[in-house]
Amino acid sequence: MANNKLEAYLEEISHYLSGRAEREEILNEIRSHILEKAASATGGSPSDEAIAQAIAALGPARRLAERYAEDRPIIAPAYKRYLFRYTTLLFAIHTVLIVLAVIFKESFIIFPILFVPQLSPFDAVLYLPMAFLADLGLVALVLYFITQSGKDIVLPWPKFGLDLDEVKPPRRRFWSIFGTAVGTTIMLAITSFCLHLLARYDTIFLYLTRTKEPRPIFTAEAGHYLSILIIILFAVSTLALAIKLFTESRWVDIVSNAITLAIIGLVLRQPFDNLFAINIPDGLLSWLKPTILIVLLIIAVATAYNLIRDIVRVSRHHLQK
Amino acid sequence: MVKQTPDVGTLETEMNRGFLHILVLSLLENEMYGYSMVKHIESLGYQVEENTLYPLLRRLEKNGWITSRWDLSTDRPRKFYSITPAGRAIRASLLDIWKAQNAILDRVTKMTKITGENSNGQ
Repeated sequence: MANNKLEAYLEEISHYLSGRAEREEILNEIRSHILEKAASATGGSPSDEAIAQAIAALGPARRLAERYAEDRPIIAPAYKRYLFRYTTLLFAIHTVLIVLAVIFKESFIIFPILFVPQLSPFDAVLYLPMAFLADLGLVALVLYFITQSGKDIVLPWPKFGLDLDEVKPPRRRFWSIFGTAVGTTIMLAITSFCLHLLARYDTIFLYLTRTKEPRPIFTAEAGHYLSILIIILFAVSTLALAIKLFTESRWVDIVSNAITLAIIGLVLRQPFDNLFAINIPDGLLSWLKPTILIVLLIIAVATAYNLIRDIVRVSRHHLQK
Repeated sequence: MVKQTPDVGTLETEMNRGFLHILVLSLLENEMYGYSMVKHIESLGYQVEENTLYPLLRRLEKNGWITSRWDLSTDRPRKFYSITPAGRAIRASLLDIWKAQNAILDRVTKMTKITGENSNGQ
C-alpha cells in the first residue's frame, strides 16, 4: 500500500520531468529520501503513515518537479517579451495576407512560416484564430530553441515606432485639430462632388471635349464599378478624419486602412483590357498598364505597412495593460 | 493585474538562496547523504525545506562544486555528497562576500542607531 503511494508519487514526478536526462537519478534521490525519512520516523521498517508524511513534507509532485526545472526555463525571461512582440507582428502580416487571399481568391505561401489558403470571407473569419495560434506556437518554438541553446542572442526588433516605450502619445494641438477639420471639409467636398458626378453621368471618370461636353473615360460598366469603389474610399477617409476630430483611437486608422486595402484589392481585380471608352494608342496603353499597376501596388504596400504598424501598436498597448 | 506585496516569508526565501549555498558547501566538507544533512541542519537550529535542498544539491553537482556517489551496501541505497576543490574555491569567495555584506550591514545599523539617537536627543 505504502509502496503504491510512493510509486504513484514518483510516477507523477517522472511525468513532469519527462525529457530530462537525469530523471531517473532524481527519482532515485527522492525515493531514497522518502524511505530514509519514513524509516527514521518509525525506527525501523517504514510504515504507510510515515511514508505518506514524508511525501507530504516534499509537497505536490508538480511543485517538486518545478524546483528541479528552475534552472532551465522554457523561454528565458529576457525573451518573454518577444513572444508577444513577434506573435503580434507575425499575426498582423498573416491578417493582411488573409485579407489579400480573400480579395484575390489566391493562396499565399511563405515557406515554412506562413500558408494562407484561398478563402471565402466566412472561412477567413474562422481561419484567423487558427492563424493566431499557429503564429504564437511558431514564435514560442523559436524562442524555446534560442533559450535552450544557452547563447546570448540579441533578438532584433524593428525601430519604427512599434515600441511602447518609444511611442509618445500624440499631443492635441490646435493646428492638428484645425488641419484635420480642413482635411475633413475638403474630403467631404470631394466626396459630394463625386456623388454628384455619379448621379449625373453614372461615372466620376470624365474628360471634357472641345465642346465642353463631359465624356466617360471608361466603359459604362467598368466606370460605374470603379466610381463606386473610389467614392467608398473617399467616404471612408472623410468619416475617419471626422471621427479623428473627437478621438485619438488607433482603431480608426486600422479600420480605415483595412477598408482601403480591400478597395485597392478590388480595383486591382478589375480587368484592364477593354477598360477604356476612348481610343488610346497601343504604345501608350502598354506603358499605362504597368504604371497604374505599380502605383496601386505602392499604395497597397504603404497602406498594409500602416495597418500592420497600428495593429502591433494596439495589441502591444492592450498586452501592456 | 494586482501586484502582491512580498511578506517576510517570501523575502526570507530569497535571502536563504545564497545562505543555503554557503551552508551546504560548508557542511559537505564531511561526506553526507541528503536526509542526514536535513537532520544536521535542523540540529543547528535552522529549517531547510527538503524540496529546496535536493534541487540545490543537483545544481551544485551540475556546476562541479560537489560530487556524489551511491552507497548500495545497506538495505536502503543512500546518495552521499562531498565538496570538490572547485566547490571549496566558490565557498571561500561566497564567505568573503557574505562577511563583507555583514560588515556593511553592521556599519549601516550602527550609523542608523547613532543618527536615531541624535535626532531623538535634539
